[in-house]
Amino acid sequence: MVLALSVGVVLADSSVVTIALPDILARYHVEISTLAWVLTAFNLALALSALPAAFLARRRPAHVFGLGILVFVAASLVCGFAGSFGVLVAGRAVQGVAGAAVVCAALDLLSQLTETDARAARIWTLAGIVGAALGPAVGGILTQLLGWESIFFVQAPVVLFALVALRGARVVPVPEPAERPHVGANVALLLISGGLVAALFLLVILLINGWRLDPLPAGLAVTIMPVAAIAAARFGKTIEPLWARATSGVILIAGGLAALGWLPHAGAAWTFPPQLAIGAGLGLALSALTERALAGRSAQAVHGGWTIAARHAGVVVGLLLLTPIFTTDLHHSERDVLASGTAAVLDSRIPPLDKIAVARHIAVAVDEAKQEARIPDVSEVVGTHKGSAYADLVSKLQDQLDRAVTQAFSRAFLAAALLSLAALVPILLRRREVSV
Amino acid sequence: MRAIVWAAAASLALIVVYLALGGASYAPARVADPCSPRDWRNPQGLQQTAEQIVLSALDGAACKLHVSREEMVLAFGSRDALRAFARKHHVSTQKLDELVRSGLMRSIDDAEQAGALNPTIGDLMRGFVRRFPVAELVDLLQQLPGF
Repeated sequence: MVLALSVGVVLADSSVVTIALPDILARYHVEISTLAWVLTAFNLALALSALPAAFLARRRPAHVFGLGILVFVAASLVCGFAGSFGVLVAGRAVQGVAGAAVVCAALDLLSQLTETDARAARIWTLAGIVGAALGPAVGGILTQLLGWESIFFVQAPVVLFALVALRGARVVPVPEPAERPHVGANVALLLISGGLVAALFLLVILLINGWRLDPLPAGLAVTIMPVAAIAAARFGKTIEPLWARATSGVILIAGGLAALGWLPHAGAAWTFPPQLAIGAGLGLALSALTERALAGRSAQAVHGGWTIAARHAGVVVGLLLLTPIFTTDLHHSERDVLASGTAAVLDSRIPPLDKIAVARHIAVAVDEAKQEARIPDVSEVVGTHKGSAYADLVSKLQDQLDRAVTQAFSRAFLAAALLSLAALVPILLRRREVSV
Repeated sequence: MRAIVWAAAASLALIVVYLALGGASYAPARVADPCSPRDWRNPQGLQQTAEQIVLSALDGAACKLHVSREEMVLAFGSRDALRAFARKHHVSTQKLDELVRSGLMRSIDDAEQAGALNPTIGDLMRGFVRRFPVAELVDLLQQLPGF
């Protein structure tokens, strides 16, 4: 249980700071493109270190796990106290390296403690799924209640607590890996994780930065995904063969992401059905593919390392592919909302001279919002006036703003759906191998 | 196999419902074509009449420059914005000045013919438009309350 908790906390770190990004931007005043390094540094370091860490963990799992925990805790504290953006990114990279050691060694330790590889793999996989899916929700709640730094301060003692799992753990020599990694399952994991970037990162940005939800309600709004993922991973394990479970999961993820790309209105409630589909798909696909990647292979940590490397390389690929699509569309949306907002003002029933002032305020507000990476407050832009003409104008401007923001995310969600759907190729090509 | 069919049906149903509710067209409203005629709104009072004349003039100028009326309005937000607009559309500020002025003259004529403007007020407006450079009008707008 404690080992599973440490795996969950480490893998939650992949997405846990997403909700805190606007606060981090406000604190360090960096460019938006630079800000993405808070996420990229962790995932890239984890992807690159997973295999070396797994090979080390094969020989001395308890030592690697213990050292990984201590370094992870130290790096978390560095992130929490970071005086500059560079220190924060460096801390995140160290967290990624140490996290790789913790996650890979935990799989070997779980195998020894449960005495069955299959059960250890199931616990380890479920912990990873829950952690990754819960990340944004936990991050949102902590950011609103205690500030973004608390994300790092809270996780440090939780992970440190995992050291109790080392008591009584026997160090058993692990044989050399007998087989090569399962290419099909790992490539599919990479593609799915790339697509899930949209659900775990972009959706949170849409809720907070786009639709102006506070971190706490936004965090609660995205808890649907982990709940659905846990339920699907638990109740979907009877779906056989594994390739059919993985295929069902991929179809649900792609369907949910496509629905997010075609949202008919702005509002958190519209994201619930797609989140349900994505969460269920995540639970089915990740459990099936990870089980297949590990099943029957000796040196669990090494093959676990491959799945972790594939998943987090997928996150980096997703960030690199989807961020330019999103930022380009956001730029176009700024132009569109400026034009449609000005049209709404010109066609409104407010006094002519007020129209000139409001139109100019819109231009200034959009420009400021661009600099500060936030959406302008329509009521502030229009100012405090009484009368139905002003109320109508505020409502029309808010509608245009919601439409522009929602549209800015559309193509990125659709591209993520295609990326996830591409995972069907390796699954179906290697389905004979995936059938166990 | 049944799981795949259920997953495909659920995904398809979700997408179809969202598209049927307008998911593919949920985007900011397109601005009107400045070259298409707009309805004359029967303005009440001089201020509203003047507003319609200015908007109509901006439509005319925007149509000639192949831009939207809204883009022209934003260009008149400040001298800097006006210069940036002129650079972007490869037009001198003098040419822009002429386009807006001729549009205003035409709109005043239209308003007079529609009976929305008294001829004496129309003559006063023409005199004002002839003498006032557009760039100075921008400066004047900056000094209005609310700026």
